[in-house]
Amino acid sequence: MILARRRAPLLTLIAVAGVALYLFPIYWMFVSGLKNSAEIFANPPTLFPRAPSLAAFEHVFAREDVLRYLRNSLAIAVPVTLLTVALGACGGYALSRLRSRLVDAALFAVLMLQVFPDALLATPMFIIFKFLGLLNTLAAVILATTSKTLAFALVILRPMFRQVPIELEEASLVDGCNRFQTFWRIVLPIMHIPLIVVGALSFVQAYGQFVYALTLLSRQELQPATVGIYSFVGAEYADWNRVMAFSSVFVVPILVLFLVLQRRIVAGLTAGALK
Amino acid sequence: MIGSRSPLLFVFLAIPILYLLALVAFPVAYNVAMSLQEVTLGNIATFARPWVGFDNYREVLSDPDFRKVLLNSLLFVAANVVAQLGIGLAVALYFSQRFPGVHFLRGLLLAAWMLPALVVGALWKWLFATQYGVINFVIGSPVHWLADPSLSLASVTIANVWFGMPFSMILISAALTGIPLEPYEAAALDGAGPFQRFRYITLPALRPALLAVACLITIYTMRAFDLIFAMTGGGPLDSSNVLPLFSYQFTFQQFRFGIGAAIGTFAFIIVFAVALLYVHTLRREAVE
Repeated sequence: MILARRRAPLLTLIAVAGVALYLFPIYWMFVSGLKNSAEIFANPPTLFPRAPSLAAFEHVFAREDVLRYLRNSLAIAVPVTLLTVALGACGGYALSRLRSRLVDAALFAVLMLQVFPDALLATPMFIIFKFLGLLNTLAAVILATTSKTLAFALVILRPMFRQVPIELEEASLVDGCNRFQTFWRIVLPIMHIPLIVVGALSFVQAYGQFVYALTLLSRQELQPATVGIYSFVGAEYADWNRVMAFSSVFVVPILVLFLVLQRRIVAGLTAGALK
Repeated sequence: MIGSRSPLLFVFLAIPILYLLALVAFPVAYNVAMSLQEVTLGNIATFARPWVGFDNYREVLSDPDFRKVLLNSLLFVAANVVAQLGIGLAVALYFSQRFPGVHFLRGLLLAAWMLPALVVGALWKWLFATQYGVINFVIGSPVHWLADPSLSLASVTIANVWFGMPFSMILISAALTGIPLEPYEAAALDGAGPFQRFRYITLPALRPALLAVACLITIYTMRAFDLIFAMTGGGPLDSSNVLPLFSYQFTFQQFRFGIGAAIGTFAFIIVFAVALLYVHTLRREAVE
């Protein structure tokens, strides 16, 4: 034990160094965005920018309409999050409380339906939304993306809802609340943290949605930031400081969300995927 | 239990299930139907299209590029499974020790997994850039990571392992904490060394979890599209192409919808089989 305690600071030190090295690419993204057009091509590359400059950021804000792209990304991600949490809470609750062959089949269906690559569903999605007259609307991307986040939400939420003691609900029913009031006033408030975690993960997924935006939206003014970034890097030559500035601005909300909810997200992921 | 048969619960269940049936199951079935039809830009809007049996499959199977891409997909998935499990297990074992900040530092790695796949692709394209990329600077030689057909698949694999490993590691970590301590104490008393304890206690106890994680890695990497699309577009010469991207190219760039759908079916079969294995593994674990 004494030996272990003496080794602990060393273990922390190694872990800090390892994690820093592993996340170096993220550092490199931010720092590349802060370099000017000459320094980005410096050889050897500079670990810290010699002359930090916001020129690349100014460029992407002024010339590339980053704000419009971000607004579109948010206009997709926020409704997907709300829809996923609403439908996921209902479905997850039902899956945790009902016991029948039907429910087993439903759970099996949910597990199987979350595995299909979205790039392969792009054509049928295109045809469905053309039929519904929703092509070139954000609604199409929102509905398509939710099909992916919803299955994931159900898988994570079901075991969480199971942890809510049934006695609480029984007491509430005895007190004269109906089933919906019980769900709304008793169960959901207890579940607010898992719901926030699922909401955050759905937000992240929807915020990074690319394939459906690429295939269901052809009007540039509707496209989210992922498509905007792709239009930069798709070509052979790229202004890397600008691409990295654009990417940095784009991922800041996700990284902030992640840092705030880190422990809860870790707990939520492990509960869902292996149970 | 009071009201467990409440109609409200069935409504609650029906809405998300119908949603998934409409926007996942139906598209999957529609795609399979299209793979048996001749679909052109002219008839894409109607379902009344000529049925051509397995013609699209015959054409796909006789295409040497398809065989190459199928092999790429299998290699990409296999390399990801091996690397993510191996590295993930090593990192999880390191973080199973007790030291200050262990949970925070372990969780921090997940930042890589939180990034949008497209951004990860763009970022690694820059890291791998031949002339000014930081990786070539570190190794001191101008390697064409993405432009050399013999390296491009390895390069996108490295990027995807970086992207996915933290998630796999977190899942393995959770399984590690679930192993009871008594066998370790008994083994220590019997004089078993750390390697023997790992080999005879940890690994057998982890096996079901590792199998489940391997299935998840397969499912997630079979999906990889954004990352490869941003880094190489599948090139050069399809050397880093995988099934979803190959299917997309036939559909949205060449407008050969039937061929694109047939390629998709092959990917469906693979993920479906692995998903069955995954569900089976979870069930067995739940029973035990």
